[in-house]
Amino acid sequence: MNFFTIVTRGLLRRPVRTGLTLVGISIGIAAVVALIGISRGFESSWATGMKVRGTDIVVSNMGNALAPKPFSSEVRDRIGKLPEVSAACSIYADLTSVEDASMMVVSAREWDGFSWQNLKLISGRMPNDAMEPAVVLGQTAAEMLKKKIGDPLQLETKELTVVGIVDGGAMVENGSVILSLALFQNITGNEGRINVIDIRAAPGLSEEAVKQLCDKIDAIAPEAKAMVAGEHLGNSQAFRFISAMSWGTSLLAVIVGVLGVMNTMLMTVFERKQEICILLAIGWKPGRVIRMILWESALLGFLGGIVGVIIGTIGVKVLETLPAIHGMLEPDFNAGLMGVAVVLSVVVGVLSGLYPAWRSSRLTPSLAMQG
Amino acid sequence: MKTLLRLIIPALLAVSALADDSASELAAKLGALQQNGSSVVRLKMEVQGAAKSTLQLQIKQRRTNSATEVVYQVLWPKERAGEAVLLRKTGDQSASGTIFIPPNTVSTLDSSQMKEALLGSDLTYDDVVENFFLWKQQAIVGTEVVNRVSCDILESKPGRGQRSYYGSVRTWVDRRRDVPLRVEKYSSSGKLVRRIETTRVVTNDDKQAVPANLTVNGPRQGSVTELNGSSVKHGVSFSDKEFTPAGFMEVSPARSASN
Repeated sequence: MNFFTIVTRGLLRRPVRTGLTLVGISIGIAAVVALIGISRGFESSWATGMKVRGTDIVVSNMGNALAPKPFSSEVRDRIGKLPEVSAACSIYADLTSVEDASMMVVSAREWDGFSWQNLKLISGRMPNDAMEPAVVLGQTAAEMLKKKIGDPLQLETKELTVVGIVDGGAMVENGSVILSLALFQNITGNEGRINVIDIRAAPGLSEEAVKQLCDKIDAIAPEAKAMVAGEHLGNSQAFRFISAMSWGTSLLAVIVGVLGVMNTMLMTVFERKQEICILLAIGWKPGRVIRMILWESALLGFLGGIVGVIIGTIGVKVLETLPAIHGMLEPDFNAGLMGVAVVLSVVVGVLSGLYPAWRSSRLTPSLAMQG
Repeated sequence: MKTLLRLIIPALLAVSALADDSASELAAKLGALQQNGSSVVRLKMEVQGAAKSTLQLQIKQRRTNSATEVVYQVLWPKERAGEAVLLRKTGDQSASGTIFIPPNTVSTLDSSQMKEALLGSDLTYDDVVENFFLWKQQAIVGTEVVNRVSCDILESKPGRGQRSYYGSVRTWVDRRRDVPLRVEKYSSSGKLVRRIETTRVVTNDDKQAVPANLTVNGPRQGSVTELNGSSVKHGVSFSDKEFTPAGFMEVSPARSASN
């Protein structure tokens, strides 16, 4: 019987208790995987949305609201004059309830601006002109709103017609109601106001030069902040709050897991007092006993991590199929996240085993004789 | 003994006066936040009862210290689009109202009808124009934690000359943000008639925390109304026509005075 057989047998001695502890720790890890995966997925989906639109820089004022704050459309003209800017496209992006859908992205884009170019028509057509009372819907938005070509869509005070369904190449684009900026400004009473400017930098600009361009834009447009595309979401207080909430909730779940493992390992030490004392009596050093307990808790953590990753991934996949959430999640379950989750679980296991291991090292061979 | 009472009674009166002052100040602050000029609110109203109904609404309001005018206009669904309710209240006088149903049906609401349901919801017409923070009797009657937030409970009662369907209203106020997290309205016999819970608070452009989502439970069994705010625009310029039945015939977007 080698060292690792003893470790494994220690866990298998009480299979139900070990199983329940595994469930506890794996739920914690599942929460980490699900919440962080969803939050990162949202971030990377925005980044993909920017990429497919060919946007290098996003100018917006992300305060603590979910949608950026509006500013004058005159800012776009100021930025457009910079020699390093090859194209600028004004946008009014809003999060609002549309008909019986709770919250949807309404993306109003400058007519003829480059942000229309990535939209691939699946059916129907694009609006004919900037003031045609028409919208195109991302394919997920069309499903959520149960709309097809020719259907009316009530947006604020106006009834518009769905003329096209598009594939925007990213979750955010596909979940959006897309229309001309001038039309949106007219129906919402926001003439002359925008809240995002997409910018394409001049070809050949290095990463460093793009960052310098951001600083230049900030200097001439203090109403908003220029960020390299993909990084701008991190500037949103609302997103940072959601991200912090995800980590906070995950941490709580992990703490519950720690307590579960610690309880199990303590019980193990108490129940196996005689066995441990005999091991000490036959020459095991306290350090080896400590290692045995730590290996047991680490193994528990490792197995909990694996099961947690599986539960978290399957759980989110099931969530995605629910009608209320369908099309709103694009989780990012990359190998890195899964690896971090398993490592975290092992660390949790080891930390939880420290106190029980210390208790076990305090036992003496003579205690074995006391029964 | 008399000397002791002479010392204690003024002290108790002073403490009580201080508490009343604090309640009056809080009520005045909340009342002023409600009577905050011209604004337009867009919201979704979902009534869940025997049948579920959803309305997209535009609310135009002009609120001053002495008068309130509010128009609720239905934007969606199509079959009810254009329906509107105009409600008015001046000072301590009873509220009055007008209902418009397209294409041209106009009916008036007298004071006895003000406790009827607003657009089929669990709110009454009175609920949206009556500002109980402006009632004369205000007192802080305790503290309680609501959704993990410590709140002062403000009790408002109509004073002499102030008529209301309710005998008292209790408001759980988050004092850190000065935002009501729960409102309970009681009949004159003390029976709970209506409970309004704030389920989401947002910060508006004036950096003021305001309730964005509300859940309303009224006396109707099994019925709940959810109000989910999409946007609010302050400092809006309205024409007087927009607060008349003639103005209801065209549902127009709100334009900020700065636009």
